Amino acid sequence: MQYKSQAVAKPYFIAAIALFVGQIVFGAILGLQYVMGDFLFPEIPFNVARMVHTNLLIVWLLFGFMGAAYYMVPEETETELYSPKLALILFWVFLAAGVLTIVGYLAVPYATLAEITGNDLLPTMGREFLEQPTITKIGIVIVALGLLFNISMTALKGRKTAIIMVMILGLWGLAIFFLFSFYNPENLVLDKIFWWWVVHLWVEGVWELIMGSILAFVLIKMTGVDREIIEKWLYVIIAMALISGIIGTGHHYFWIGTPEYWQWWGSIFSAIEPIPFFMMVIFAFNMVNKRKRDHPNKAAMLWAMGTPVVAFLGAGVWGFMHTLAPVNYYTHGTQITAAHGHLAFYGAYVMIVLAIISYAMPLLRGRAAANSKKSQVVEMWSFWLMTVAMIFITLFLTGAGILQVWLQRINENPMGFMEVQDKIAIFYWMREVAGIIFLIGLILYVVSFFVGGDEEEASS
Amino acid sequence: MSEKFTKSMARNIFYGGSAFFFLFFIALTFDTTAKLPERDHRENITEQVVLGKKVWEDNNCIGCHTLLGEGAYFAPELGNVYKRFGNSKEAIIGFIKSRPVDGIPGRRSMPQFNLTDEELDGIAEFLKWSSEINTANWPPNIQG
Amino acid sequence: MTQSHTKISQYPPGDFAIWIFIYAELLVFGIFFLSYAFARSQNVELFNESQLNLNRISGAINTLILITSSYFVVRAVAAIRENKSLLCARWLLAAIVLASAFIGIKLFEFISIYSEGISLSTNDFYMFYLSMTFFHFMHVIMGMVILIAVMLKAKQGGYSNEDHTGVETGASYWHMVDLVWIILFPLVYVMR
Repeated sequence: MQYKSQAVAKPYFIAAIALFVGQIVFGAILGLQYVMGDFLFPEIPFNVARMVHTNLLIVWLLFGFMGAAYYMVPEETETELYSPKLALILFWVFLAAGVLTIVGYLAVPYATLAEITGNDLLPTMGREFLEQPTITKIGIVIVALGLLFNISMTALKGRKTAIIMVMILGLWGLAIFFLFSFYNPENLVLDKIFWWWVVHLWVEGVWELIMGSILAFVLIKMTGVDREIIEKWLYVIIAMALISGIIGTGHHYFWIGTPEYWQWWGSIFSAIEPIPFFMMVIFAFNMVNKRKRDHPNKAAMLWAMGTPVVAFLGAGVWGFMHTLAPVNYYTHGTQITAAHGHLAFYGAYVMIVLAIISYAMPLLRGRAAANSKKSQVVEMWSFWLMTVAMIFITLFLTGAGILQVWLQRINENPMGFMEVQDKIAIFYWMREVAGIIFLIGLILYVVSFFVGGDEEEASS
Repeated sequence: MSEKFTKSMARNIFYGGSAFFFLFFIALTFDTTAKLPERDHRENITEQVVLGKKVWEDNNCIGCHTLLGEGAYFAPELGNVYKRFGNSKEAIIGFIKSRPVDGIPGRRSMPQFNLTDEELDGIAEFLKWSSEINTANWPPNIQG
Repeated sequence: MTQSHTKISQYPPGDFAIWIFIYAELLVFGIFFLSYAFARSQNVELFNESQLNLNRISGAINTLILITSSYFVVRAVAAIRENKSLLCARWLLAAIVLASAFIGIKLFEFISIYSEGISLSTNDFYMFYLSMTFFHFMHVIMGMVILIAVMLKAKQGGYSNEDHTGVETGASYWHMVDLVWIILFPLVYVMR
């Protein structure tokens, strides 16, 4: 750790991991509710558990992004953070908002929560992923603006590298597109169109900028390859990501009441969406081959290499599988979508946050370069357990999805939804087993932070 | 001879390309919103439909169901439920009303939301209106 | 990846980054053309019938305009290779003037189509016609912006016979825009 103010990243990373554990516990509950419908009913109905699962994911990834920003900005700009104090205040504000929201979900019925948080004044709740009470949404905006103010001021007085400009741009985009969550027209079709301006333009737009800049940062640090080369690649990759991704929003405009030309626009542009992910794979492996040093933090290297590969599989391959309109006509809103969502989020965003945590945490804890061998071995085990488990979750959900499409959508005598769910229960059982293995991997990941031993020496 | 692949060129392509495609996206969105009235039949959005959407949101229905294919995949698609239930508002209302408080042993069950008659009518009207949106023939069949 | 490029390998000309972009763009247009061919094969009559409504004369004029402007850009590159900055800028200006003419004619075409009440949602043919020509139209504007930037730099003597990657880069992009139109015009306006 070269700058004192980088230390503010530490609570962000710790909170991220803690909430990650919560997310996966609720994931396991959901998985069980798929096969044991009355599990925890009516105390924690499925919709509540799912809301907790997805909202925790978003919140902990945001914690990870913010931690990454606070860690990277001083080092990249070569100056102390504008205000470490503000960063800490925002941390507590965000944590309180996040925890209170989750407690609210679990403690009272959602309709009651909507009522007591004043959803009648400005209705923004009850839309997928944007379930947070309006007041929480305002809190998110305030925290994001505070973060942007803090890091923008830091960047202004320091060195402006490409990596940091891309990251700041990504965070600005994140804040700006989130504002569409306050737009909730009475017309469902309009609502859906602009709902995607938050959801799609986040995960297939500006988040990719954040992800790209974190990956570039970690690769520079770990491989010692020339900054010029890495930043060049970064620009080309994110250029392709946005060029394909922005109009690629059209693949969500096939069947929601929007004009039919979107079937062409959406299909054509999302057909090139895998390209930036493929370039990312080539890029990462190229840089490692050109490395000028062998960094002792092997675990962080594993996460950094795994990110583009799994992101390519999850977002690129699994995304392309059902993105063309004629295919999507049958797969839209089935377990195929769930399969893609799981692997894409894990590969692109979970793994990149774990990569920066894995790289930065030893330094934040005062180690010279990396954790002990023993600790790293445990962490690498957790990498493989979680990654393989997630791939199996994806495969089982894909199997479930294919059968569902066949029985419910393509068959000459289509079966009803619930009937089909019973027929494919075996896949849900296998998914739950894979999910438990994922949870074990995650526990191992947490354990790795407490494994001692002689720490690794820093290499030149 | 300058380098054949410069960072500044890559940067320009990123900024230029993103701005270009974003403008294009806005142009398409503009056309879409202009065309929308023919497809969403907004003239039929009554007070009941508005109330129904609010009830839909306040009870987080999207947390289990899909609506036009978007949402959770735990419970049936509701974009066409009005048609699936034989074009009957009463059937929808009756179903929601009759959910047991403690669920069904061993099976998935919709919670009992204790909606008022007005809210029930709203949600049914909302689902009826939703079923009339022109969704390019989606879903493929009545099962959703 | 192109670090090994030396003076011997002058191909492809211009900045390699623009080539990544050009390939990506050609890919998008390529998929559009294939989609067009596919959609047409599904409904040949509709496509042929709607096609008759297009103004083929303005399309043909625009083709000539773009080809000529491409030639001017070639002259501009030749000029800078002989270290004639001002001449280069003048050729570029000529190309830009022609590009504006293209824009003007195309706008006229869009307006007359629009006043007939035709839009993206009219039918599949018009969906493709409007999408592809408007998409290309935006590329012409983009190309013009690039050419103007290159011209201004050339005017100030920013390039030389030693260092004119920028001119080649702009020229490469412009030729791509031209090439796409040369395929687009016969495909959408003429072929039946």
